[in-house]
Amino acid sequence: MKQENKSSPGKILIVDDEPDMLEMLDMIITDKTNHRVVTTNNPLEVGELLAKDNYNLVITDLKMPVMDGMDVIAAVKSRDPDIPVVVITAFGTIESAEEAVRRGAYDFITKPFRKEQILVTIERALDWQRLVRENRELKRSRDHASA
Amino acid sequence: MGVLDWFRRKNRTASAGGMAVFQKKYESFKRLLDANNDTLELMARLEAVAEGDFVFDIQFIRSRSQAILDKVATIVEELNILGDNRYQALGNLYDSLREKITQEIATPLATESVPLVMPLSQVDRRHLLQVGGKNANLGELKNRLHLPTPEGFVLTNAAFRLVMRENHLTEKIRIFLDGLNPDNLEALGTQSRELQEAIRQATIPPALQAEVLKHYQALSAQLGSQPALALRSSGIYEDQEYSFAGLFLTRLNVPFADFFPAYLEVLASQFNRRALVYLCQKRLAHREQAMSVGCLAMVPAVASGVLFTTDPMGQRQDVMLVDAAWGLGPAVVDGTVTPDHFVLSKKPPITLLEQQINDKPVFLQGQKSQMGLATSAVPAEQRRQPALTPEQLLTLGRYGLRLEEYFGEPLDIEFAVDPQGRLLIMQARPLLVEAPTPTEKRPAAVGEREQLLLDGGTVACFGVAAGPVYLIQKDQDLANFPEGAILVARHTSARYGMVLHRARGMVIDIGSATSHLAILAREYKVPALVDTGVATEVLQPGQVITVDATHMRVYAGEVHELLDQAHKRSPSPIISSPIYAKLRRVLRWITPLNLVDPKLSDLTPENCKTLHDITRFAHQMGIKEMFDLAEKAGQRDDIHSVKLKTTIPFNLHIIDLGGGIEAGRRAKFVPPEAISSIPMRALWKGISHPDISWAGPIPIDVKGLYAVVSRSLTASSDHSDFWSRTFAIISFNYLNYSSRLGYHFATIDAYVSDIRNDNYITFRFKGGAADEVRRGRRVRFLGAVLEKLDFDVEVTGDLVVGRLWKYPRELMEEKLDMLGRLMGCARQRDMLMADDAIVDWYTEAFLAGNYRFEGSPSLTTAPPDQPAHS
Repeated sequence: MKQENKSSPGKILIVDDEPDMLEMLDMIITDKTNHRVVTTNNPLEVGELLAKDNYNLVITDLKMPVMDGMDVIAAVKSRDPDIPVVVITAFGTIESAEEAVRRGAYDFITKPFRKEQILVTIERALDWQRLVRENRELKRSRDHASA
Repeated sequence: MGVLDWFRRKNRTASAGGMAVFQKKYESFKRLLDANNDTLELMARLEAVAEGDFVFDIQFIRSRSQAILDKVATIVEELNILGDNRYQALGNLYDSLREKITQEIATPLATESVPLVMPLSQVDRRHLLQVGGKNANLGELKNRLHLPTPEGFVLTNAAFRLVMRENHLTEKIRIFLDGLNPDNLEALGTQSRELQEAIRQATIPPALQAEVLKHYQALSAQLGSQPALALRSSGIYEDQEYSFAGLFLTRLNVPFADFFPAYLEVLASQFNRRALVYLCQKRLAHREQAMSVGCLAMVPAVASGVLFTTDPMGQRQDVMLVDAAWGLGPAVVDGTVTPDHFVLSKKPPITLLEQQINDKPVFLQGQKSQMGLATSAVPAEQRRQPALTPEQLLTLGRYGLRLEEYFGEPLDIEFAVDPQGRLLIMQARPLLVEAPTPTEKRPAAVGEREQLLLDGGTVACFGVAAGPVYLIQKDQDLANFPEGAILVARHTSARYGMVLHRARGMVIDIGSATSHLAILAREYKVPALVDTGVATEVLQPGQVITVDATHMRVYAGEVHELLDQAHKRSPSPIISSPIYAKLRRVLRWITPLNLVDPKLSDLTPENCKTLHDITRFAHQMGIKEMFDLAEKAGQRDDIHSVKLKTTIPFNLHIIDLGGGIEAGRRAKFVPPEAISSIPMRALWKGISHPDISWAGPIPIDVKGLYAVVSRSLTASSDHSDFWSRTFAIISFNYLNYSSRLGYHFATIDAYVSDIRNDNYITFRFKGGAADEVRRGRRVRFLGAVLEKLDFDVEVTGDLVVGRLWKYPRELMEEKLDMLGRLMGCARQRDMLMADDAIVDWYTEAFLAGNYRFEGSPSLTTAPPDQPAHS
């Protein structure tokens, strides 16, 4: 049974080198919300995926081979700073999680976590994006009016 | 001054032996308690995670199971220090569990380090990732359990990778899997056929050809003939978290000349349409696909079948189920014939509880000198004969029990009987068992109002579902299977598995609950009935029906009462994800507790099957060792003790292991106020309670006195230490108190700290001077009081043992205080218990705080049948 969403359905990209994590996150989000989920276990694909489609949120693992979560944050932010990035970290790596937030991640969540935790974080991140966009829109129309 | 300093100083003057050993063992005991506590906590947390609310990865499972393994290693080590290495068996068990757990969480070996072909005689569970679950299990039961299995060899995953790489198929497969759409069965069929054809056309690299030939020649030399082979798939995920029941190809009766085409066909079957749908449903499509193939010398089976070591419906406890038919195995699992059905009791001795012998008109056998099987008619006189003899059934049952115990989970075992009547195990894999069965009754109205279409059959998967009937008569019908329909068919063909994810329910005419399709129904949680006999005749295509598999009934239309009831139980989807399955597989070696007898009669290393069992066993044994040690201390001269300065007339000697007596108060005699040991202080409070009298004579009736005197005379050698010293071995948190007061022997072993999980009290009371009936009465008095004080009580003869665990510190102190009072009151109390009714009176009196037992009836009423002695 899908829960009623406060927000309209969003599109979420999930990046993790562990297929198990991708599956579980996909299952939870699809089961409990109306959001659409795209997953990849290859962070090198992120740029391409972002170019192909509009995403409202990116969830990424922090520690991955070849390209880590910090690189994913940079790739997302250079494309669209309004896309929130939620970082998933292993227990005991709080410092790198904080570093990720300094580099522009919206929030981080530490494994193992309860499924409700990620659902709440997703809704908050999507609300944040909506607010940022609305603000920008308001500002633009105000600037436009005053010009 | 620190404890160790104190010991060092003591050791300079006294002989080093006793005290140092004592101290070392006590430190071990404390470490054992700590590790025990940590282990239980880690296990509880891991179990909570397994309930389905958490997101975690394999790394989490690895680190947590390693943490538990480390703690249990400490427990085993410390117990062996305490018990002078008398628990080596536990160490061996620990090693085997560690190996099993490590296998589950291992990272795959690099491809280069895996040989292309391995003889089955060298395969076991350690090769799981190279040879797949089915081959690994078969190797394990051949080479470690030495059960009869066919001979053969295994083409590993490395062989698969080599073939794919050399034929440029690796990348093709990856792209193919990335683009899978399980909902378009038509397109999927075409794509799957193309890929399978490409695999069938592949060239076998010379290196692999040479290896296979070498191993076949070795096999032929071993058997003295050139056997036809059975080629069985052993997928990388198969038979582990996932059944893949009947989805991959098995090629039977393959002459060596046809080996490689058959091999490629088995490899190709990994990408058959049914298997692909399953891969998508199980979200495995984007993972590495590889397949190992087991090549076994063909057994010309006269009979074969399947053994389930547990009822997969969870309906019946302690039974094993056997289905068997004449000829080769496929007849049983494919649903071609209705096999004989046997029920064996699981509890030794294994017995045949029930049997249902069916008409088995046909059987399968290998064709002469060419690949494949032929169906033949069973001779008339044999059709209704049981396919297995009672002896074969019992042997099978014994194998089943052994395998289940060894693998730690219920199993689905395929077996065959060779022409000599010998039983061979063909494969063993995990059996998916339904959760405990729904016990709710059918709503009362149902059945009277609704039109009953079918009543009977066998449950393959519990549950209720409604939808339109979709009748499958030929394989082509599968392509159009509508979402949400009820699958109705004549046989339980595993091919129907590929539409099960679309089916709401299933009703089948012929087939058993042990068939591949039934296994898949349970895996997909599709309510299913099999063996209904007439479903395809009674149920009309397109007709909406409600299948109540739980009660084995089918109704016309939608029965909402039943559907609503069933809807209330819907499982969390994440529970069925691979990582949860992995966690559950690891947990089966960790958390189940088999040592559950409260009387502790099952407390042997042989009964330990899991890390939890080891933990419980070691905890109990640790306490026992400490207790025995304390008891022995009283007989040694090289142990230093101090005496308690008190007016209470008994000789209490105290051995302080550290922190039990206030620093600076060490003298030959110390006052009670100097005791800093938490449990000793609490006990002393009770012993020295103002209403408890330790001095002066106790009034006794004449018969009691007579019994004491005569017993002292006849058993004098037992009582040479009649007035021997009372010992208390203490530390800040620990107390071991051994006391011989009068004729009885009482001990208390206790650990009291702020960590309630560590806390325990064990109280033992034995013996007495009066005759056995009277001693029995006192023991009953003690037992009754202890029970009222919340102890677990065990009374055997004149021994009473009371145990109490895991209470918070304040309550533990209170209980010790009460034990102190109780020991005082119980002093020679047996002599007063002239009849049974008095036991209750004393119990009430004690609990009411009447410790002097004023108004005792025992001195005023003599039992009518026991005149007093004079």
